[in-house]
Amino acid sequence: MVIKPLLILVALIAFAVPIAASLGWLGLALQYLDSPMPLHRALGDMVWQTGTDFLLVAIPMFVLLGEILLRAGITERMYEGIVKWLGWLPGGLMHSNIGSSALFAATSGSSVATAATIGTVAIPQIEKRGYNEPLFLGTIAAGGTLGILIPPSINLILYGLLTDTSVPELYLAGFIPGFLLAVLFMVTVVIMCKLRAGWGGETINADWSERLHALPALIPPIGIFLVVVGSIYAGIATPTEAASLGVVAAMILAAFNGKLTIEMLKLAIEGTMRTTSMIMLIILAAVFLNFVLSVTGLTQALADFVTGLGLTPFQTMLMIVALLIFLGCFMETLSMLLVTAPLITPIVVGLGFDSVWFGILLMVLLETALITPPIGINLYVVQAVRGRGEMLDVMKGALPFVVTMFAMVALLLAFPQIALWLPSLVYG
Amino acid sequence: MTYLLSISEKFSRVLVWIGGTLIILSALLVTLEVILRKVFNVSLGGADELSGYAFGIATTFGFAYALFQRAHIRVDAAYNLFPSWLKLIADLVGLALLAGFAGLVAVMGWQLVADTITHNSHSITPLRTPLTLPQVPWLFGWIYFVFCAVLILVCALIALLQRDRKRAEQLISAKTLDEQVEEETV
Repeated sequence: MVIKPLLILVALIAFAVPIAASLGWLGLALQYLDSPMPLHRALGDMVWQTGTDFLLVAIPMFVLLGEILLRAGITERMYEGIVKWLGWLPGGLMHSNIGSSALFAATSGSSVATAATIGTVAIPQIEKRGYNEPLFLGTIAAGGTLGILIPPSINLILYGLLTDTSVPELYLAGFIPGFLLAVLFMVTVVIMCKLRAGWGGETINADWSERLHALPALIPPIGIFLVVVGSIYAGIATPTEAASLGVVAAMILAAFNGKLTIEMLKLAIEGTMRTTSMIMLIILAAVFLNFVLSVTGLTQALADFVTGLGLTPFQTMLMIVALLIFLGCFMETLSMLLVTAPLITPIVVGLGFDSVWFGILLMVLLETALITPPIGINLYVVQAVRGRGEMLDVMKGALPFVVTMFAMVALLLAFPQIALWLPSLVYG
Repeated sequence: MTYLLSISEKFSRVLVWIGGTLIILSALLVTLEVILRKVFNVSLGGADELSGYAFGIATTFGFAYALFQRAHIRVDAAYNLFPSWLKLIADLVGLALLAGFAGLVAVMGWQLVADTITHNSHSITPLRTPLTLPQVPWLFGWIYFVFCAVLILVCALIALLQRDRKRAEQLISAKTLDEQVEEETV
């Protein structure tokens, strides 16, 4: 009962059928095979309800927010500001790559956009300042993944939707692990540079007056972060409302910079709608599939199958982690999230784990998926921005950070409080 | 046929601008609502409902554009290893399945809207929005998406019959990475 749908899904996905169509047709095939009721009759109503869900309005808002910041040149100036603050560390600009990615992630949520933007600014510096090229490229690829975890993350909203978990609680839980991971990435850079002399390149020593002068470039992204995340935790706004506030704040900032033009908005809109419509089509298909899976009892069957293996909860969790790492080598993150979260979360919760905690663990595993070969979209993005040399360089450079992410997974398994402490303070 | 295709693509762009404008207006409306609620303790009421409709319409208005931009995600781990003839078959099958699923949603959506019209349904909120207002444009987005998917499919098949493989690939093949990155960088 469990094997058949998996085979259909794998066949569709491997044949490069668009993910939305794969999920939708799997749902249709399963209802034809397993259900006496014509479940697709509910399709129209379901697609309308989900498609106008206020929670999901946050998706276009966060995408638009990132697009505006990017096109108003705010991200680029932020990078230059961060160089002044972090450039003195062993590894120089590599820390700025990670720091800027973390800060950019904290205002928007697209990992591809983050890696592409930071990459464009940073890559010309490799030769100029004598950095180890693979490691430098690795910091950009790895830094770009932080957007999935650090709130406001679109992926956390989707997880919340599919598993009935509170999004504000997930956002709170993502904070410490997100920034901890950014710090661990920087520690990784320092360790690598200490181990291999000559990898670190030039450090950039700015004095305090330069640093203070760089502050104004950092205020816009930090300000927007405070508006968005602050308004959620102050109880003023829901995630969607906070995202809307962020969009308006970003437009005001862009206007201050003289960048708020019709031409710029047109480009931002096209980028936003392309991403939003693409994501939404997959979500709508996933929600339908999710409905078919639960009505036909497949979700339960899968859970029973896993419990029937007779493993302890912890062993089961290790097995799930291994499976997700394996999937991450071949699947792109969004599809992976939408396919696995509804299937695996009920199992995990049934075993007594916390769904908020698992959401965070899943995000770290999705981040890993972005930089594990052969299919790690950030690796390709960085290589494409670089435009020369071998793909292998980027993969080699990303490897230390994959190890760091595994360490983060181990930390979360050993100390769930890393994720759960902050929400427990607020929600008791 | 080529003419129809280019007109359709231009129109998909117009739909996206309309959709995007709706999103920006929603952001302004919701922001206004939050400020009024917190600072003046009054509520406009219905900002969430209206922006939900705006979002629903904007999303379906963007489907066709995303299709022309070949933005709908496919997992290309195995695909990249296919010989070029098999890639083309996968492209055709994938697009046909996408069109088929969207077509089914459009038919079911049609029934939903037909019901709404027959019963003259209103939303069960203080606004009591007549649901035909947001549902008709929403359904139009789905229908236009299916129309464009079928049109692209037909054009690609014609190109293949004329042995113009390059043209067919341009229409339906998965995007190369350089194309993707070009979109993301400014």
